[in-house]
Parts: sequence; C-alpha cells; structure tokens
Amino acid sequence: MNALFRGKGWSFGFRSAIMLYFVILIVLPIFGIYTQSFSLGWTPFWESISDPLAWKAVLLTVKLAVIATVLNMFLGTMIGWVLIRYRFPGRRFLNSLVDLPFALPTAVGGLMILLLLGPNSLVGGLAQKIGIEIVFHEPAIVVAMLFVTFPFVIRAIQPLLEEMDKSEEEAAYTLGATRTKTFFSVIFPTMLPGILSGAMLAFSRGIAEFGAVVLVAGNIPGKTLIASVYIFGEIESSNPQGAAAVSVLLLTLSFLILWTVNLIQGRRGGQ
Amino acid sequence: MKINRSTSQRMLVLLLAAVMLLVVAGCGKDGQTGENEAGSTVQDGDVTLVIGAYSVVKDAFAELLPAFQAYWLQETGQKVTFQESYEASGTQARAIAGGFEADVAILAMEGDLDKIANAGFITHDWKAAQGSSGMITNSIVVLGTRAGNPLGIQDWDDLTRKGVKVLYPNPKTSGGAQWDINAIYGAGLKQSEVKNGIKDPDYAKSFLKSVHANVESLDKSGRASMAAFEYGVGDVIVTYENELLARIKKGVNYDIVVPKSTILIENPAAVVDKNADKHGTRKVAEAFISYLHSEAAQRLFVEHGFRAVDEKVAADTKDRYTVPEELFDISYLGGWPEVRKNLYSKKGVWYQVLADL
Repeated sequence: MNALFRGKGWSFGFRSAIMLYFVILIVLPIFGIYTQSFSLGWTPFWESISDPLAWKAVLLTVKLAVIATVLNMFLGTMIGWVLIRYRFPGRRFLNSLVDLPFALPTAVGGLMILLLLGPNSLVGGLAQKIGIEIVFHEPAIVVAMLFVTFPFVIRAIQPLLEEMDKSEEEAAYTLGATRTKTFFSVIFPTMLPGILSGAMLAFSRGIAEFGAVVLVAGNIPGKTLIASVYIFGEIESSNPQGAAAVSVLLLTLSFLILWTVNLIQGRRGGQ
Repeated sequence: MKINRSTSQRMLVLLLAAVMLLVVAGCGKDGQTGENEAGSTVQDGDVTLVIGAYSVVKDAFAELLPAFQAYWLQETGQKVTFQESYEASGTQARAIAGGFEADVAILAMEGDLDKIANAGFITHDWKAAQGSSGMITNSIVVLGTRAGNPLGIQDWDDLTRKGVKVLYPNPKTSGGAQWDINAIYGAGLKQSEVKNGIKDPDYAKSFLKSVHANVESLDKSGRASMAAFEYGVGDVIVTYENELLARIKKGVNYDIVVPKSTILIENPAAVVDKNADKHGTRKVAEAFISYLHSEAAQRLFVEHGFRAVDEKVAADTKDRYTVPEELFDISYLGGWPEVRKNLYSKKGVWYQVLADL
C-alpha cells in the first residue's frame, strides 16, 4: 500500500490536491483582501488607514493583545509546567479542559464574561464600588482575549517539557548547579521556543478576535473599539474598501508574526 | 517505526482528500435540490411567500402570519406558507439587494427600502402603492430607565449630566439606530431654535457630542443594546417606544420617559417586484402588504407596542400613548437623503462626533 502511494501518479495527485485546497481556501481569499483594499488605488487606501478612528482601533487592539500575550506567556508557562511536572488528582481532567476555549463559540465566552464580571455580578459589583470599570472597558477586552488565546502557550510548551531528557537536568545537579541555575540554564532554554511560538500565535489570534470582544467591549470608536469590530462596522456601512484596508494592516502584522514563529521553530529543528 | 509513521501520515492525507470530495459532492447536491424546491412551489396550488423583515417585528409577525394565512385561505382557497427571515434592518436590506429572494420587505426605515429600490429590485413607487405613504407602523424614540427612574431622568438634557451612563446602538451597523441619533440631533436643533431662534446645526452637533460622551456601550444593533441594558449595563437606554413596551409587557420593570421633543419613527413595507414576479407571487404579496395596513393587523401591532398608522385604530388607542409636545418627523431634518448626506456620510456629523472634531 505504501509503495503504491509512493508511485509518481499518486504523489503528483496528492501534491496538486493539497496545493489546490490551499490555494482555494487560504491564498485566494487573502489575495482578494489585498486586491480589494487597493481597488481604488493608493490614496483611498492611505485615507482609510490614516483615519483617526481606524488607527486608534488598530493601536488599541495591538496594545491590548500585547498585554494579553504577556499574561499568557507567564500563566501559560506556569500552567503547562504544573500539568507536566506535577502529579495530582484531576490533572488529566484539567489537561483536557485546556482546549475548551477552542471548542466554544467565542460569543459564548463573551457572554460568560459579561455575566461573571458585569455590573450585576459579585466581582463586577465589587470593582465598581472601588471605582474600577471592567465590562465595556479595556480590562474586559483583555480578559476576552486571554480566554480565547488560553491554550496556545500551554500546548506549545507541553511537548517540549515532555520530550526533555531527564538526564540533562540530573547532569546539571550532579555538576553542582543550584535549582535556580538548573532551571534558567537547562530547563528554561528548552521551553523558550515553545513560549515564544505559543505567544506569537496567541498574539495573532488576539488581534483577530471578534465574537467574545464585541459583547464585552463598549465598541465606542476612538475609545473601546478594536480593529476587528471596526472592520465589521465598515462592512455593515457598505465600505468594503475601508474594511479591507484595515484588514490588510492586521494581516500583514499577523503574517510577519507567523513567519517569525516559523523561523524560530525552524531553528529549533536545526538544533 | 519510521515507515509506520509516514504511512499513517499518508493515510491522513488520503482521508482528508476523501472528506473534501464528499463535501464538494454534498454541496453540489444541496444546490440542486434547492433549485428544484423553488421550482415546485409555483406549480402547486399552495403558494410560498418569502418575507424579509427587520428583527423588531418578529414577535408581532408570529401572531400576524397565521392570521393572514387564515384570511387568504378564506379569500382565495389557496394555502399560503411563509419563509421568514429576520435581521437587523440594514443587513436585511443588503441581503435583499444582494440577491436574497424576498417577496416582501418590511424594514425599519425608508432608507433601507431605497437601498433595495436602488439595486433595481423594487420598481414601483412603493410610497404611493398603499395608504400612509407605504408606512405600516409608527413609534417614537424614548428613554428607558431602571424601575422607578432612580436618577430622575426627565429629558434629553439629563443624559448629558455627569455620571449618567447612556446606551444606544451604533448607527453605522444598525440602520434602526439612526432613528435614535436623529432624535437626539433633532432635539438639539429644537433647543437651538428656542434659544437662538434659528436651527443651528453646530449647536445640535455639540449637543449630540455631549450625550455621546456619556455613552457606555455602542452595540451593533438595537436588540444587542437592549440585551446589554438587561444585563445591568447603563442607566438610560435610548430606543424605540415599541421595543420598551414589548419588554415591559413581558414583565421586565422599566420606566419609559418620553422626552419633550423627539422623532416620529415610521416603518415601511413593500412588495419586492423583481422577486415576486419571478416567483409568481405578486398577487399574494400585494394582498399581504394591504393586510398589514388593515384594521386587524394595525390593532395587533398596537398590542405589540407600535403606534398605528391607520387613523381609526390610532384614534381608538390614543389614550395609551403620550404625544410629545414637540414631536417632529424626518422632514424636520430635511428628509432621509439629506440626513444620510449630512449625518452619516463619510465625514458627516456622526463621524465628527466620534472623532471629536
């Protein structure tokens, strides 16, 4: 059977089927967005981007996504570490819960945040008393982004920790390294590529999040409107070119990031 | 071990390819049956009416459609079935203009019907086709507050007070929300008339801006805004009277504050000529639109919180509704084309309010 698949015809068929699939589903739509955004030429493109409401939305998105990503790097690393290195009852169960944000429609996540942190909830009520606004302000957007990007860092470092050779760690101890030194010069470097690539994915996902954020952000242009909701607004008000222009900005950003991830992972493979 | 792995990888690829093939085949088949169904409805004695409506009328239509069904059966012996679609008014208009084959369109505002007309789907003069300029229901823009009106909201001015949290939907995503913004803007114009004797657009703009400064959340539709209000967000919601009345009827306790000057909302309905002719449903579609203007339908709309356009019904139910002292309609702002150009164009008043220009 295996030999059959290695035949020239099969190999060619597979490759072209996959390429076709890739082109139709990924390359064409993205190419379409770039074409759409420049459909009226450079000047309208520049006008759409330089609109204060547009760049404020992009800036806010990037800022909040960075915050969410940094939080994810710390918490995700810790959670991944705990799930691999410690044995406790319920570990497997917790481990399987990690992926749930992927399975849930993000709007449901947003709704839950609204209910749990909203003005009628315990947390929201307390926060309001001490003068902190959560829902409909920036903190809620960060929480929504955290929720949808939760699995990335954890899932990126888990295999690295699992594959790590126990003897490396033991060697470090034998050579007289302290626990801290062992962690920072043996364990941490192993996890680092995972943390970085997980973080980059989380960031890309964060800047693109719509469903959860639209429910918990106030969506006031110039104040609490993030890029994806801005794009939605432009589409709804029949301005596809403006929507595409801002999308191009996000796409380019995401592309650069994912490319960096690939480079990092490529380097790891080479090591 | 290694060979095993690559074999399984290849199997996976094969599986993927198979699944893709199935999906493609499935899609093709679906498309075909869809066409067949559309063809068969015309031949039968029964008739299917495709309704493209804005979301607010959904509850009213749940009662109204069976009533029309009974009426049409009695009248012609023909059984009419419905295919209903409820969307935000602007989205619905775009869908119909983009090829959604609705026989009749019931929308939140004239501008949205114009969108369909401009796309060439409505070819008759829908304003002249029926009484009351093609409008089927009226309402007004009001303020909703928490039970007992704890902040003592009386009029638009109270929305500019510090610490009052206001909700209204985004007029860019929700066409219906344009009524809300028009009401605030128009109230600003009225104020400037009282103060300076002339309609002063700058005064109205800064008035809208000071209300906007207190907005807590700009939701994508009137429904979403109402939902947020129900979760406990905000102190005041700017919305349609019928929307609040419908909520109150369902047992939610809100206060309705009718501002001194506010806008009269008019919701139109029309036959979509091109689709009705294509489906051969023109007769029933036209009958349906006239039915919406009939006394029975108008009474039903009133039960759902709308104000009737039918004069007799309106007179009968007038003690249910307060008429604001200075009620104005869209013509006070210069009519829809003017409003679209002035307020909602690219660098219009609304943009200036948002960008704080």
